[in-house]
Amino acid sequence: MSRVLALVSAASLLAAPLQSQDSLVARERRRADSLLSTWREAQRLADVADSLERARATAGSDTIAVGGLRIIVNPSSLPLREAAERAWPVIDSLYGSAAEDLPRYPYIFRAVDPDSGVRRAVLHVGVELPWDLDLRATSMVLLTTVTPPDFDPALADWLGAALRPALRPQDERAAVFVQLVTAPSEAVRACFLGDIARCQGVLQIGDSTGSLERLYATPAEREALVTGPFGDYFARGATALTLQNCRQHRVDACTALLRSLPPGSLPRPLAPAARMLLVRVALHAGGRDAYRRLVARPSATIGERLSSAAGMDIDSLVARWRNDALAARPKPLTLSWWASFAAIGWTAFFGFCALRSSRWRL
Amino acid sequence: MIAMFRAVLYTQWKWSRLIVVLGTVAAFAIPLLSLQGAARPDRGALQTQELLGAVQSWGALYPLLATALGLLMAIAAWAADHRGRHIHALTLPIERWRYVLLRFGAGVVLLAAPIAAVFIGSSLAVLTATLPPGLQSYSIALAVRFAFAVFVAYAVFFAVSAGTARTAGIILGLIAAVILVQVVANIANIDLNVFGAAQTVLLLGPGPLAVFTGRWMLIDV
Repeated sequence: MSRVLALVSAASLLAAPLQSQDSLVARERRRADSLLSTWREAQRLADVADSLERARATAGSDTIAVGGLRIIVNPSSLPLREAAERAWPVIDSLYGSAAEDLPRYPYIFRAVDPDSGVRRAVLHVGVELPWDLDLRATSMVLLTTVTPPDFDPALADWLGAALRPALRPQDERAAVFVQLVTAPSEAVRACFLGDIARCQGVLQIGDSTGSLERLYATPAEREALVTGPFGDYFARGATALTLQNCRQHRVDACTALLRSLPPGSLPRPLAPAARMLLVRVALHAGGRDAYRRLVARPSATIGERLSSAAGMDIDSLVARWRNDALAARPKPLTLSWWASFAAIGWTAFFGFCALRSSRWRL
Repeated sequence: MIAMFRAVLYTQWKWSRLIVVLGTVAAFAIPLLSLQGAARPDRGALQTQELLGAVQSWGALYPLLATALGLLMAIAAWAADHRGRHIHALTLPIERWRYVLLRFGAGVVLLAAPIAAVFIGSSLAVLTATLPPGLQSYSIALAVRFAFAVFVAYAVFFAVSAGTARTAGIILGLIAAVILVQVVANIANIDLNVFGAAQTVLLLGPGPLAVFTGRWMLIDV
């Protein structure tokens, strides 16, 4: 009997902290639920405020419709219709069939007098445009501010910029070529030399495990990264000693510091232009429905999405991207023939001026 | 005529040999210095940008050297005549235009030395360097460009130097007038950009100084 009593009392003693732990969990859960409901309430209020602001910004405006573009703007002399007629084919060729969804993302503009000092009401929706913009500048505005349809945060994070039509496609490709040659990364150099697996690594289209080893393969690169861009960040607090070790060429110290960085904060050796070109290559290869396929599954990996958009396996797509970039080598720094002729002409001209000098005509 | 040219060339060489020798040494050294460290075996991908940065920084010296050579050679070509108030030249049995042409030609021949030095120096620098993959050398293009820049600079300063004080005064007066017009336009708040227009005419397109602009890169992508 006394044994049973002892067991019961022991069980109750053991259960007491568990019970209190349970109440702590329940308390935290209630707090989280309360926060969630507050956040949802705030979201609703923000939506209402946005909607009211949108109504205020578009009051008394006209709507211009060209293709899938919808432009809400106050009456002005801006050549928006003509600009939209120019911009629409470019936008349509990028987004393909998904461009039909663009009416869901109208442009909201307010044409303003650029020379006027009169105070205007502050609007938080849309963009102000000076009403003396010419056709070319207005078309540029439409191309550079178009909202990509169904552009999810995962794709935006990976890309590092919004996917919009390229204003100078050849320059964009040439910029990627320059990156491949000059980026301070052995992995990028290997990609330039034809290692497609390394290309996939530096483009970060596979899984994210071991990204430090993939992006910054050599000890020198890691040391340069830690002591350069992250030098100030690691110089204070608990990491100062490890930084000192890293500066003394201790590879493990540099690696440990880089591993301690929050996920996603490791700098990418290639700028967004490289990833942008990859997406453009995929969309070009995949036809009119390519963009729709690209944004169809936001939960899939970037590699799978690109592969699905392009309708080909990822190795072939990356190889095609590399070939495109290599084919866009910038123009060599040789003088053009007309510049050579101009230099010879000017030399002859000034020489002739000297011959005609009046020095001896006394 | 050939004998006369030889005589003019010899006298001009005597007057300007220091300029030619120093210019040639500088022209030979700049490409070599711009690629210093490029042959290091431990140079990895990290150093590509540094290498291009160094080449670009040193590249600014080529147009400066071309201008300096053109200016000094033009001054040296006429210095003795100016000192003697052109009396010796007037006693020669030759028309002025032929005399000027001989002087001009002699200067061009002497300037061939620094131009050749740029070509040899840059070729040597490229041969001894280990260039990262993707980078290319432009020794010939650089030497050709340097040659054009030297000749244009030499011709401009030769023409100014061959002229009278009145000619120099007119040129200076024109420059002063342009500055004055711009200052007055600024004060009167008139939308007139004479400097910008002058810059466009002189430095862009087929302008006389266009050959001096742009990037002077011995190696690049």
